Amino acid sequence: MKSNQSIITRISATISRLENLTGLYALFLVIVVVLGFVTLPFITYHGDQLYPKTLDPESTLDPYDRGGVPFGTTPVKAQYPENSPFVGYVTTYLTPFSQWLADTTHHMGTTIVAHPGGIIDEILYNTRGLDTVVETSILFVAFAIASYLFRRDG
Amino acid sequence: MFNLPTTNIGGPELFVLEFGDIVIYFSPYTAALFLFALIFTALAIVSRPEQQVDITFGGDAYYAKEVDLNSLQFQRFMAIACGLATLGAMVTGDVFNFTLFASMVGITNIGIVAAYRNRHVLNAAFQYGIVAMLASVPLFGGAAIILANTGTLSMWELFTDALVVPIIAKAFLVIGIMGEGMAPFYVAKAEITRAQGAPFILMIHVSSLLLFLRVIEIVLSM
Repeated sequence: MKSNQSIITRISATISRLENLTGLYALFLVIVVVLGFVTLPFITYHGDQLYPKTLDPESTLDPYDRGGVPFGTTPVKAQYPENSPFVGYVTTYLTPFSQWLADTTHHMGTTIVAHPGGIIDEILYNTRGLDTVVETSILFVAFAIASYLFRRDG
Repeated sequence: MFNLPTTNIGGPELFVLEFGDIVIYFSPYTAALFLFALIFTALAIVSRPEQQVDITFGGDAYYAKEVDLNSLQFQRFMAIACGLATLGAMVTGDVFNFTLFASMVGITNIGIVAAYRNRHVLNAAFQYGIVAMLASVPLFGGAAIILANTGTLSMWELFTDALVVPIIAKAFLVIGIMGEGMAPFYVAKAEITRAQGAPFILMIHVSSLLLFLRVIEIVLSM
């Protein structure tokens, strides 16, 4: 790059290079994040959350203990309860083996098979069901791309 | 309940569809964007790819670029998925749901260009993939800040005057959409359009443009 070029020409030459794209975006991002850190003290936590969550370290199902009464009526907060008339019904429960594991050991919450039911499942599958659908679609698309790229040379 | 709190930007509501806490709505603005996305999705379904021809300068020789069936099918699949994700993002009435649709648009955009073998195109796709990956942090971070600060995610509540969304959450949302839809990053787009297969490649442009229009509406309404 010649030194007698104007500053606009130099900026234009820099941002027109594809290799600088990631750096440019990262620069934008860092600026916004720094602004975020500056304004962080002014952001207050809203105590009355729509989707509350509590952790009980003493529970054998920790950190997956989501509360709720099996085969009972579980009160679940919803933004629009009239849209979810069956909220509190659709919960997942422990299988007998999982229940035995949870009763006798403290490792139930750390296993991948842990499926204790309760409030979060209600939120996921009942009040925010469309989110669950889109999340799975994202995973499916990502796997489709990966498998296509893996198999096309074979 | 179902009266759109602000009609300054999107206009009055036309149609409402309830999915539990996620209430989808059509206003003249979102309905127009939805219609655009629908038309382009239909075009991606029915159209055949363009056949590019490179002509050698100063001679009679030319190269015809072949589009093989496998990559055609995959690109069409990705273009349709991208169109469906755009359709969802245009009309959803929930901030977190919108960010999910936006990240799906980002992934399908990478999928559309990943099928090519041209080195320049793949290089552009790689750079764009890094940006899209990076963008998911501010995108979901913005939604998380909104939830922590206001206690809700529904646009029906957020659009009212009672709830004030912090400006940094809006900035996070916008910069996240910029990365996912690469709306202002036309450097990468110019490289990507070298790839053959016009209708499927154009879906990248349409989806990113519509996403950007939608996020501006959301940010201004909040």
